[in-house]
Amino acid sequence: MKKILAVIKREYIQIVRTKGFIIGTILGPVFMLALIVVPIIVSSASVEKQETIGVVDLTNEIFMELDDKLDHKDYRLKDGFRRYVLEKFEPSPGVEEVRNELREKVLRKEISAYIYIPEDVLEIGPAESAAKDSVPEEVKAEYVSEHTTDFEELRTLNRALNNVVIEKRLKREGLDPLKVAQYIKRVDLQPIKITKKGEEKDTAGTFMISYFLALIIYMAILIYGQVIMRGVIEEKSSRVVEVVLSSLKPFQLMMGKILGIGAVGLTQFSIWTLFGIGASVYSTSFIPAGADFAMPSIPAHVFIYFVVFFILGYFLFGTLYAAIGSLVNSEKEAQQLVMPVTMFLIVPIMLMIFIIRAPDSSLSVFLSMIPFFTPILMFLRITVLLPPFGQIGASIVILILTILLMVWLVAKIYRVGILMYGKRPKFAEIVRWIRYR
Amino acid sequence: MKERVGYLPEDRGLYPKMKVGELLLFLAEIKGLKSSEARKEIDFWLERFDLSDWKSKKVEELSRGMQQKLQFIVTVIHQPELIILDEPFSGLDPVNTKLLKDIMLEMKEKGRTIVFSTHRMEQVEMICDNICLINKAERVLEGNLSQIKKQYGKNTVVLDYDGEANFIKNFPEIEKIDDYGKFMEIRLKEKSSPQDLLPKLVGKISINKYEVKEPTLNAIFIEKVGGKEVKDEEDTSSH
Repeated sequence: MKKILAVIKREYIQIVRTKGFIIGTILGPVFMLALIVVPIIVSSASVEKQETIGVVDLTNEIFMELDDKLDHKDYRLKDGFRRYVLEKFEPSPGVEEVRNELREKVLRKEISAYIYIPEDVLEIGPAESAAKDSVPEEVKAEYVSEHTTDFEELRTLNRALNNVVIEKRLKREGLDPLKVAQYIKRVDLQPIKITKKGEEKDTAGTFMISYFLALIIYMAILIYGQVIMRGVIEEKSSRVVEVVLSSLKPFQLMMGKILGIGAVGLTQFSIWTLFGIGASVYSTSFIPAGADFAMPSIPAHVFIYFVVFFILGYFLFGTLYAAIGSLVNSEKEAQQLVMPVTMFLIVPIMLMIFIIRAPDSSLSVFLSMIPFFTPILMFLRITVLLPPFGQIGASIVILILTILLMVWLVAKIYRVGILMYGKRPKFAEIVRWIRYR
Repeated sequence: MKERVGYLPEDRGLYPKMKVGELLLFLAEIKGLKSSEARKEIDFWLERFDLSDWKSKKVEELSRGMQQKLQFIVTVIHQPELIILDEPFSGLDPVNTKLLKDIMLEMKEKGRTIVFSTHRMEQVEMICDNICLINKAERVLEGNLSQIKKQYGKNTVVLDYDGEANFIKNFPEIEKIDDYGKFMEIRLKEKSSPQDLLPKLVGKISINKYEVKEPTLNAIFIEKVGGKEVKDEEDTSSH
């Protein structure tokens, strides 16, 4: 045991002291934050500038009001100037001629686009047809430009045009658009999550947090598993292992390595957790009051299960990665063998959406009982809809038994593989190693 | 058991990224040394091998020879009773070779058993008590070195000379010759006497040394294994 401790200490100190660990620990949260914040900043600080848009209005009624609408402050640039300046083009001598002329203007960049409004946009079908087809056929106006993928701009213009057209139609029928807006006000179906402790207004938070935490388990197992594997390969190729094994048993070396690197992982999580708590304390004083975003809290039991499933998952996959490391001579060689192990991690990730939607279906229960899937899927189920404790307990017991079996098997493979150089052993040979006494 | 054995592999077996002091401490600890005890030993051995200045350098920064010395420290730091050395002198300059050899003899004095594996027969001759020649995983020759040499009798001549000595090959009393150009090991036939050979050489070449002795281990080895491919041989020096 003292020897395992020495190995754990060595692994831990050697990794924690590397620049990679320090940078990774600091940059990890920064990176995650950046992943969330940067797109928001980029999209809000988008390349907005004033544009001139031509309008061919065959109804001859819409242009004025559309121009008014776009003059409203909602449609203006941040500095108060108009975002869209409209320029009216009369359809004379003929529609085609004007459209040709406008096409030229767009190509010459005199205007950035033109909108073509056909005559029939304001018309409504006869009442009978409206009753028969519950969805009336759409009328189409056209937005003609060289660049038609700025969907933000398209949506803005579309909304403005729509509002104008609908108001026009309503007025024609003698209806008050403001009143109609009240009539057709939407209802929002609000999800409320019930837990034993009471009710909690559920924004997209639970979903996001579940997904996020499960992904962290996945990433951590993947990353630290590879660290184990690389360590084993390094010891093997630098032949340190010969010296080390003249002092301790292969099993002690393997366990020490897995435990030491696991401790590194827990250290990193602890730092991140502290960072997270600090950030949330700081940011609650920061989020403007009345913002429609409740910082979803992570319940204590979820946090505990997170740690439990990370540790168990790490052990299960850590032994596999150690076995792979002992079988190969170089990292390149290892890649082929890593694939099937990685698949065991990727499959549950692909199943996540299904589990989140149907956390207590019998298929979900079954899948979360498969030990290689348990760390991610059972944890996910716990975050979404706390399963009966019997299920959680059963999955943990199965997982632990599997881990013990794997440790036993891998120790036998590792013991022989670690001192075996040259050609990679065939499967039959590995089976024979397991049978060695 | 493992605490009583020290092993020096042929290839360097050190963690390249670790600092010298930490590496020694780790490897001493897994041999069961207490860390206070280990620290004392580490300082002693680093001093002895003139590596004290390198204690906080990374192993990969050390030269091959220095790494070899470090590897040796790893092997003996826990004062093992059985020391296994696989080509311990490779990569060492003459000064360090002498230092290492002295320490090996010191260990022998203290009653430690050293298993010394090498391809260099002259090293074996100078150091070992008992030998075991291994060729293609089979024991070819085993026993006390001086007794083995006695068996081969005193009909070998070692000649240190200058000049053209090719003509010696044609003498009838010659069994076998191993010529190095300025140095020659001559094995005589059973009935011939070294005393008869010397006069035939005088005047023809300039003789710096003419010594009658037992055959060298090198010659014995070549004779034993013959022209067959040599694989490995191992020699034991024990107390």
